Amino acid sequence: MKVSRRDLLIGSAGVTAGLIFTPVPWKLLGDVSIWTQNWPWIPQPSQGPVETKQSVCTLCAAGCGLRVRMAEGWPVGVSGVGTNPVTKGALCPLGFGAHQLNWHPRRLHEVRHRGRTSSWDEAQGALEKACAEGPVAIVDGRPGRAASSVLEGFAAKHGGNYRVALSSESRALGPYAAWSGVAASRLGYDLENAQTVVSFGTPLLDGWGTPGRFTRMWSEKAAGASDPELRLIQIEAALSRTAARAWRWVAIREGSDAALAAGIARVLREERLVAAKGPLPQMSMEEAAAQSGLTGQAIRELAHTIAEKRPALVITPEANPAIAALNVLLGAVGAPGGIVVRNKKALEHIALEANSNSYRALVIDSSVPWDLVPRSNVEVFRFAAWDGGGNAGDWLLPAPGFLEELTDVPTAPTSATETYGIAMNLLAQPAETKSAAQLLGKIDSTLPDIEKLIHTRCEQLFQAKLGTIHAEQPVAVAKFESAKKLEERLRNGAVWIDDSRHANSVRCAMKEWPAATRVLPAADWGAAWEAPVLPALAEKLYKESNLRDAPARREA
Amino acid sequence: MSARYGMVIDLDRCTGCGACMVACAAENNVPALPERATARTGLTPMLVRKLSNGKEGAERREAFIPIACMHCEHETPCVMVCPQQAVEVDKSTGIVMQIPQRCLGCRYCMTACPYHARYFNWWDPQWPAGMEKSLNPGVSVRMRGVVEKCNLCHARLHAAQEKAAAAGKKEIELKDYVPACVEACPTGAILFGNLADEKDPVSIAARSTDSFRLLARIGTEPKIHYKTTQAWIRAQADRNPDHSSEAQHG
Repeated sequence: MKVSRRDLLIGSAGVTAGLIFTPVPWKLLGDVSIWTQNWPWIPQPSQGPVETKQSVCTLCAAGCGLRVRMAEGWPVGVSGVGTNPVTKGALCPLGFGAHQLNWHPRRLHEVRHRGRTSSWDEAQGALEKACAEGPVAIVDGRPGRAASSVLEGFAAKHGGNYRVALSSESRALGPYAAWSGVAASRLGYDLENAQTVVSFGTPLLDGWGTPGRFTRMWSEKAAGASDPELRLIQIEAALSRTAARAWRWVAIREGSDAALAAGIARVLREERLVAAKGPLPQMSMEEAAAQSGLTGQAIRELAHTIAEKRPALVITPEANPAIAALNVLLGAVGAPGGIVVRNKKALEHIALEANSNSYRALVIDSSVPWDLVPRSNVEVFRFAAWDGGGNAGDWLLPAPGFLEELTDVPTAPTSATETYGIAMNLLAQPAETKSAAQLLGKIDSTLPDIEKLIHTRCEQLFQAKLGTIHAEQPVAVAKFESAKKLEERLRNGAVWIDDSRHANSVRCAMKEWPAATRVLPAADWGAAWEAPVLPALAEKLYKESNLRDAPARREA
Repeated sequence: MSARYGMVIDLDRCTGCGACMVACAAENNVPALPERATARTGLTPMLVRKLSNGKEGAERREAFIPIACMHCEHETPCVMVCPQQAVEVDKSTGIVMQIPQRCLGCRYCMTACPYHARYFNWWDPQWPAGMEKSLNPGVSVRMRGVVEKCNLCHARLHAAQEKAAAAGKKEIELKDYVPACVEACPTGAILFGNLADEKDPVSIAARSTDSFRLLARIGTEPKIHYKTTQAWIRAQADRNPDHSSEAQHG
């Protein structure tokens, strides 16, 4: 049979038309779709077995329980620990992306001296020279750790000074320490027993203190209720995240917090709503009303609301005596549901002086929040895992990152009870990094070893037979057979909590009503985020959504 | 018996912290996008939006509403328009599944979704050098040019199913299947469970008088329920969620 050109064309058209009714083109389309989704440059997740390890978060001083999922030795996800009695499974939004922080583009991999690449030998030489020439201040952001003992020991042996640079939460307890003589490091907030919490701009629902502690409590006792078990009154000029969810938001003029506190104090005293005696503010009710933008009647009603359901506790984001004095008036200092003494031992720390120019050099530990680098003319040795930009200091020294360092985690600044945990180095420490304690230990080999210090602390906990170890099931310390087993449990992510009761013997001597100090409005990122950079995924909260504003300091 | 997994999100408990968004992205290997990404071009399978009562000054009130795929039960709009069968409703779980390997990126589903809960991958998924080691092994990475959305952490469902199978059981234990956003919420605002089980807490909460569903009037029967005692939150949330957000952010 002769096949003409016409037959060929008809045949081809028929095959083409027929193909549409077969699965072939659709299968090919699907295959092309799959093929084009598997380019070699698209990363493939590891296929290794996943194991879960428990630890304690070290990104800030809160010490949240951390569950880390690991695949092929790398962290692939983090979540909270539900059995942790303080955090109850909660983490801050930043914590959930923290496992990616070690690969952040701003991770420090080299020693930098005034912006240029240097070496550890040069840094060590410069530090040794500084120590020989004059007093050096060793600055710690989280006192009470084993590493803190190393820093303190070095300062003592080498004619230097051990100083602390604390977060705003720790500083906020300062006024009570000044009035009572009890060190601020011994004080905490007994939130669990408070029935009214009055916050002057404190981001209580936005990461303040230990994330999860107050938010869980608020969720269980207050959220959505018209007459809640726990009343949260937020006094703030702007409608913050906490103000939006509070039982009452009292909108005042910016910077008038102290005036309103004075007005409330007048009503509490003059209308005999409190039993306490003591100084009264000089400010009249009319002046308080004029400054705050509220009416005298509104201030009166607010004072009655605060006094109505007690214990009532006032919380400020920073040290602010003019507002903290309300707690003295309400009898909240040293009382359940107020400011309580959480430990028996006095830990007196001296804050780094505002003018630190008298030192030859400052050695700043990586635990010091990035924004707390002092402006000084002296040589600064700054340890950090990430470069936060801006005022970094003369020497920028790469420190171990997230999960890369063995450290112990003492009590969180706002906690009402003593706690202790151990954060294991789940990842190998990169060779190019050193912590401040490691460098100082290299300069002076007689300094104690962190591992041994942690071991000693566990031994002390075991000997004291106080408190409970919280793991899957809580176990009283008294029931442990040996210090070794107790330490083992802590190294596996358990946390020790001192649940023994202490006497709250605090007397506050306030001679006159404190003068007003300026309160800065809280940033949109709420409470202290101490790492210099945010996890990449947390950037979604402001880049890819309108939920938050970009943190200003990121581009500093 | 087939399950109907769903949620009841208590808007009175949501503080808008964003932990659910970050946990969702980490669990599902959602990449952080380039600087030029915006709220419109971003990848946020779980997105917390702000609501306001529209007033100013001391009268202003704000709340937060987490929006993810609603897993519509009835006439699921995305399923109906997809030319590639890249979206399916799993009959045994009720989960609306996105199958990126089949997706051609036509974005009909994004247009059809009344909840704006679908996202297009405008960029290649990329991580800074080394960060690919931190990817979740249970979830594959999606390519540029495909649509993605909340799959109710399907990898976690698989893990729960494998665990049940290993124990010789046909049904999973619900405690073994908790989506990342539910696990992450610090206030416990997101309740997750089986809506088909009348005794399940989520099912009971979904039937409460405070409970409602977004755009219930269009009859898609979403499996994500919301709950609030505040009338204004309910009124605002039940508008087009995008419009509520735009009003807030201008």
